[in-house]
Amino acid sequence: MLEARDISFSYPGRRVLGGVSFSVAPGETVCVAGGNGAGKTTLLRILATLAVPDAGRIVFDGQDALIHQLRYRRQLGYMQEAPALYEEMTVKEYLVYRARLKGEPEKRIRRRIFEACEECGLAGIVKSPIAPLSAGQKKCVALADAVLLRPRVLLLDDFLAGMDRESRRRAGAILAAAASFSCVVATGHEIADLAAFAKRFLVLKGGTIAADIRADGIDGAEVARRVDAVLAGGCR
Amino acid sequence: MSPMRVTMRRTIGRLINRYSTMFIFAGFLAAAGALFAFNLSASEGSEVSLTAIWAVSASAFLPVLVALLGMDVWSGERDSGRIELLLSAPVREREYTLGKFLGVWLLALAAIAAFLFITLAAVSVFAPPLVAGLSFASFVPAMLALALQGMLWSALAVAVSALCRNSIVSAIASITLFAALPRVLWMALMEWAPQGRSVFGELPLDAHIYDMSLGLVSTGAIVGYIVFSIAALAMSSKFVFLLRLHGKGAKGQRALAVLAAALAAVLAVMVVTLAMRLGITLDLPSVSLRETRFSARTRNILAEARGEITITAFVSRKDPRFRPLSHFLRALADEATASGGARVQLRYVDPKWDLGAAGRLVRAGVAEESLVFERARRREVLPLANGYGERLCASAIMKVAMPPQRRSVYWTGGHGEVSFAQYGNWGMSDIARDLARDGYRNLSIDLAGEAQVPSDCALIVVAGPKDEFSRVEIGRLDAYLKQGGRLLVLLGAPRAGGLETMLSGWGMRPAAASLPAVRTLSGSDALVSDFGEHSISAALVGSQIVLEKPVAFMPSAAAQSADGADCIKFAPLASIGEVCVAALSERGGEAGKDLAIRPTRIVAIGDESFVMNGQLGARANANRDFFLNAVAYLSGTAAVAEEGGGGNKLVSGMDRAERARFAGVVTGGLPAVLLAVLLAFVCARRRRR
Repeated sequence: MLEARDISFSYPGRRVLGGVSFSVAPGETVCVAGGNGAGKTTLLRILATLAVPDAGRIVFDGQDALIHQLRYRRQLGYMQEAPALYEEMTVKEYLVYRARLKGEPEKRIRRRIFEACEECGLAGIVKSPIAPLSAGQKKCVALADAVLLRPRVLLLDDFLAGMDRESRRRAGAILAAAASFSCVVATGHEIADLAAFAKRFLVLKGGTIAADIRADGIDGAEVARRVDAVLAGGCR
Repeated sequence: MSPMRVTMRRTIGRLINRYSTMFIFAGFLAAAGALFAFNLSASEGSEVSLTAIWAVSASAFLPVLVALLGMDVWSGERDSGRIELLLSAPVREREYTLGKFLGVWLLALAAIAAFLFITLAAVSVFAPPLVAGLSFASFVPAMLALALQGMLWSALAVAVSALCRNSIVSAIASITLFAALPRVLWMALMEWAPQGRSVFGELPLDAHIYDMSLGLVSTGAIVGYIVFSIAALAMSSKFVFLLRLHGKGAKGQRALAVLAAALAAVLAVMVVTLAMRLGITLDLPSVSLRETRFSARTRNILAEARGEITITAFVSRKDPRFRPLSHFLRALADEATASGGARVQLRYVDPKWDLGAAGRLVRAGVAEESLVFERARRREVLPLANGYGERLCASAIMKVAMPPQRRSVYWTGGHGEVSFAQYGNWGMSDIARDLARDGYRNLSIDLAGEAQVPSDCALIVVAGPKDEFSRVEIGRLDAYLKQGGRLLVLLGAPRAGGLETMLSGWGMRPAAASLPAVRTLSGSDALVSDFGEHSISAALVGSQIVLEKPVAFMPSAAAQSADGADCIKFAPLASIGEVCVAALSERGGEAGKDLAIRPTRIVAIGDESFVMNGQLGARANANRDFFLNAVAYLSGTAAVAEEGGGGNKLVSGMDRAERARFAGVVTGGLPAVLLAVLLAFVCARRRRR
């Protein structure tokens, strides 16, 4: 169980998050929606221990993630909004490097990479350098990196942006597979697409969670309409 | 594979896959090569070590190389946004920092190794004499020095890079921080207080390279480099940690991180200051300095010396002479080891810091700023004010360490001589014991019975004969002297023993002394304090010898009557006014160029009781030292070659055109070839992908 408890964060002169609390159960996929500058990326960065909140705690499996950072990061898969990769590397080299960095034993790395590349549709370009790949393919590489070691916490920041329909379909499949063992927190603006695999939407507005929408049994368009309504009107 | 190793491999892999890195490598090699060629040319004929020239040339551009290699290890990650990927991985900041540091450092070491390869290759082609006797091991201390400095620069470059977002800014900041700033500050300091140069010598960074390249290692300096490197890495880790602390709420943590970095710096400065204060200067034992060449005389003396000689440099480490002196002494010790002669132990005693050892030396009468040569009970002090050249040191070693070639002192008997085996005031058992302590055997010889003087005879002592020697005995004695024999005669009367004719034939004529007003202790004896300029007597200046009823010695007609090897020289050793009471006669001294010729030497002392037990025990005088000096001189190795060889000078043997070609090769040719190879390597790797 991943819990965010009263997370507050502010830059000098600007408050971004004010008392955000939510929890994600294993196997649950939570999507954080909100307008530009609502604090979605900041929230994910805090969850990824890349920023320290002004107040509040992140609790994973009953332990404070900010205190036991290293243990927590071993369970973490994180994908940036705009993936920054080592472009001079091939896809395989990059994934090997990342797997080693995360401490994966050598004998398992090969299998992990094979699985991740299969899932992310990278099998055909595994030996290609990253530099000439399209933005969507790079997103897929970053996604493969995030899910490479089957993390128990998967944080995906605006991960559908720039992906074509096929990639989105694959990403959905990956997320569905990941949700079986992970607490998944994703952000993005493509609510209708996200609704295909996210069963819960948190709408960030004014630094707080303005709505917690359950998307079970609701189609994507309806979810998008409700989110838009929250963002426009402010009702929970 | 540990994250640190993964990061190190990644850093190296990333750097060597870039064309720009290869140009940085080649630029370093060309610049350092140009400086090396210039330094080599400027040092022609001077007493400089090739390893020192090489190390100084490399060290000048090492900071620039490291700054360029390490400019984007962190700033590149920050600029591209990859820093978030790294920080979200389960890896500590210090592991990343160490990995990146090791990557940069190892590449810098590779560049230094390439520079060594290039310069040695060029030198061995253009100036083979310079590398004769040199091996890669000779460059180990220099490599160690460069590795230490490279370590510090790499750690600082990583720290600076962590602070910058832009690679160019990082490179400029690094070069400014550790290439320009120390030198500018040093120059400003010296401009402001020029006397500081004599106190501190050169810029410490340069001085460390120079010293260590000669194998002179200061523990304080090593600790300094290591501690500062660790501090820089600790700060670097903190700088990276700061990248997590964006928000307002992290203000406290930011302050703590900055405080920790500052404390690391302060602690490092304190530890290094303490280490420098307690610094011990060591010689690397396994390092050869065989490029130092000594003359044949010195080599001969070192090869023939035996036992363990301790040479103590009683001089401040801040003395400008300290470094060249220690280099010279190390080379001397190396030469002694290589020649299979005496083992030379070097000690450095700083009068201000090594208080215990300094106190012992001062109590023994040794003045500051001097070299002390010691072996067993012998000690020779060489004031540095008189210089410490090869010739002086070799002589000092000879004095303290050279065993007599022939270890037996034969005392004649049967003519009323004083016996070396007789105890009591009228015997000479005390001086015989001293001789035994110095390694001689005291033996009697009966010239009437022995057809020939034994071959192990170092010298014959005729101690106060009363009765005349027979013609046969004198003939045998004369024959022995003609073969380069050594004789020490103590005469109580001009005609004692009937030796006057033989002595006249060897350049000295005993005569009754007509003494002027003489200083005396008992009324019958004479105090002598006027000593001649000779190794036997010169060291006794300021002291006095005592002679009972002295006999005078004058040069006979034989002295200076012949030329070349047959020339006999008469030298007064001790005189009372114009009257010489102890003299040396030497034949063939000038002909010592020929090792086969052993000079004949006779020392005559105009007093039969000169070293009697009673004389030695009753009065404070220098009779004992005079006698032992005479024995040492008579028995020592005098047949040595003339000063020769090139000395300790760097001679490349290149003419002007060859110098130009050499400079072209080390500056342009070899670096260009290496660059082409490296570019082809990178290109091939990239093409494979």
